Amino acid sequence: MKNYPLWKIFIVIILLFLGIIFAIPSLLYKENTGSWYLDNRLNLGLDLQGGSYLLLEVQTDVLIKEEFENFSDTVRIIARENRVKINNIEKNDEALKVRFDSGDKLKIIREEFLKNYRSVNFAITNNIISITIDEIYKKSIQDAAIKQSLEIVRKRIDESGTKEPLIQRSGRDRILLQLPGVKDPERIKDLLGKTAKLNFHMVDDDDTKSLSLNIAPFGRMIVSDIDNEDIKYLLEKKSRVGGENLIDAYASFDPTEGHAVSFRFDTTGAQKFGKATSENIGKRFAVVLDGVVITAPVINSAITGGSGIITGNFTSQEATDLAVLLRAGALPAPLEIVEERSVGPGLGADSIAAGKIAAIIGMVLVCIFMVLIYGSFGLIANISLIANLFIIIALLGTIGATLTLPGIAGIVLTIGMAVDANVLIFERIKEENTKNKKVYETIKKGFDRALSTILDANITTLIASLLLFIFGSGPIKGFSITLSLGVIASMFTALMLTNLLVHFYISFASKKEINL
Amino acid sequence: MFGLNKIIPVDSDYKFLNYRKKFYIASGVAILLSLILLFFKGLNLGIDFKGGTLIEVSTQNTNIGELRDILSPNFNEVSLQEFGDENTIIIRLQNENNQESIETVNKVKQLISDKVQEFRRSEFVGPTISSELLWKGFQAVSFALFAILIYIWLRFEWQFGFGAVVALTHDVLFTLGVLSILNVEFSLSTIAAVLTIAGYSINDTVVIFDRVRENLRKYKKLELLDLFNLSINNTLSRTVMTSITTLLALLSLYIFGGEVIKPFALTMIIGVLIGTYSSIFIAVPTLLVFKFRPQEDDEN
Repeated sequence: MKNYPLWKIFIVIILLFLGIIFAIPSLLYKENTGSWYLDNRLNLGLDLQGGSYLLLEVQTDVLIKEEFENFSDTVRIIARENRVKINNIEKNDEALKVRFDSGDKLKIIREEFLKNYRSVNFAITNNIISITIDEIYKKSIQDAAIKQSLEIVRKRIDESGTKEPLIQRSGRDRILLQLPGVKDPERIKDLLGKTAKLNFHMVDDDDTKSLSLNIAPFGRMIVSDIDNEDIKYLLEKKSRVGGENLIDAYASFDPTEGHAVSFRFDTTGAQKFGKATSENIGKRFAVVLDGVVITAPVINSAITGGSGIITGNFTSQEATDLAVLLRAGALPAPLEIVEERSVGPGLGADSIAAGKIAAIIGMVLVCIFMVLIYGSFGLIANISLIANLFIIIALLGTIGATLTLPGIAGIVLTIGMAVDANVLIFERIKEENTKNKKVYETIKKGFDRALSTILDANITTLIASLLLFIFGSGPIKGFSITLSLGVIASMFTALMLTNLLVHFYISFASKKEINL
Repeated sequence: MFGLNKIIPVDSDYKFLNYRKKFYIASGVAILLSLILLFFKGLNLGIDFKGGTLIEVSTQNTNIGELRDILSPNFNEVSLQEFGDENTIIIRLQNENNQESIETVNKVKQLISDKVQEFRRSEFVGPTISSELLWKGFQAVSFALFAILIYIWLRFEWQFGFGAVVALTHDVLFTLGVLSILNVEFSLSTIAAVLTIAGYSINDTVVIFDRVRENLRKYKKLELLDLFNLSINNTLSRTVMTSITTLLALLSLYIFGGEVIKPFALTMIIGVLIGTYSSIFIAVPTLLVFKFRPQEDDEN
């Protein structure tokens, strides 16, 4: 060992020590303990610990449509106030076109309209106005909707009792959810699938003609009953009070009507509700949730206390979920699930067990093979391989990486590929051995010659796995991380640890020649 | 130690390149067949790229036929398949749109919940996502090939880069062809396997190229054909050793790693075999096309 630089020995020992120390928490502990050191563990991905991954798309085109609906209503109101007659209205997702009987007063209408909506394009040609919006306007609608949706989704998930959920925006109009340990993803999907827009509308029971013709006059709308589509109600289009004024909602039980949801309004809501009920005693009001009427009771007396109860044919779970939805608030736009991956805890545990067995057997096979081919040098390579595994696990644990099933595959693959650097070195030593007489010189040349090959070969693998990381999703990223760390760790172990061990072996066994 | 270290002697002298025409023809036919297969039969796309719903259940006393009888009348496109053993069954459904998927899964769960011991997993991939994933996978593979080409070009000379990419494209197409014949499910993890194969194959090729470059410097007078043969033989035992250790690990993964990982392991095994073959029989012979003798190497 004479002339072997001390600092190299030192570095190898330090790194190995750190590798083992930081691999221990991942290898031995499963639960969080609260200790900084022990909690520095590998996280298990959803595919290993069980749980749900959901990708939701916010249906923002609905909002654009709604916005044009608002435009058209506003134009009609302004036109009525100014006594201008509308000939016809054309709407699509891009523009609103209103044809008037005459072109008079259109400038006044424009002025009035732009007071309400400032940054729209309002063009007048003869007796036609056309209203369009630009991309910036659209984007601001979308952005606001997604921000609000994120908040509401977070509230709903929290209310559902899911621990440690990950909720984040993904791309332009998507929300990504990771819900570890969720056993019943269907319930979560139900919770997220509802917009939960709650509104109280007055029922128009006088105009039976419109209802029978199924044509809603201006300012009215026709809505069906939740339990029976054939039962229709003619309602005032403008709601008297909405879900945004609720401050609390909880499941309750009504002796005559069964499971119900009790709610309480804030001050504004209570005032509005009180006014509406006191003015309309004897008439009916309808509770409309996401475009269907849940119930439409007759107002017996003014309700001024600001609290009430919604009944319907609820089951206990439905009442609880509705209360959750009302507490969390309405989504600005519907959410659509575009991707889902749910894994039960059984499959996750099986995958971990299978992965462990595959890793151990793969390791044993490779180790036996190395000893068969390279003898004592094979043993050295095996020590490096084991050290390599510890380092990978320690690195994964310290950077807080998530271990996925493809990640386990990456580790097993690394076991096979990690000995490559050792093989390159040994083969070089073997070659040099036929030319040189001096043992140390042979070893030195072997390592030196192998160096550039090892670098070139491993950098190409790193390029491939970097691209996997960039383009891959979820579990595949896990694979690219373990593969990259494996490649990096194997370069260190081969060039530093194997080097040290070979020198140690040669000098300890006072070898005068190399049997490779 | 056990005498096995001499399996491939240091001074092996196989004339690989002398048979190169045979291997060109063999590989050419393989690539042509692969392309025909990919074009007419295609890959067995999993739900990652095709979209749809997949539910894995474990049962105890129910056989696959019973479940099929319950589900078939209720869904248009439903297929059931045993997964590893007869108590694990995969149910695949095709959905028209995103909204339908929630109802589909709920309906399946209701219909068979009393026959099933555990719902092990359920996956749904919507049509927009599946086409995005396919596009991203395609991008990843193309960028990887391109980036590797650039790297080789910087480190070696462009002729080497050409040889490497010919070999790589050969590996990717050939592997996809074999996947098509064997009807292996093509999913996100298969794409990962294909990219890893690209990495592995190039790794193998680079080791030989490294030696070619070194020998070009060392033996100025040697015929190129002999020089290439020599370089392959120099690195032959390493090529074989690394392939064997990698295959041992992959074999263990294939046999013991569980059903979900099987397509990945199988793809890798196929790819490692093809990659090892192509490094020797395709990548190096391609260099002969150029008849080059570099004047000065970039490292000097």
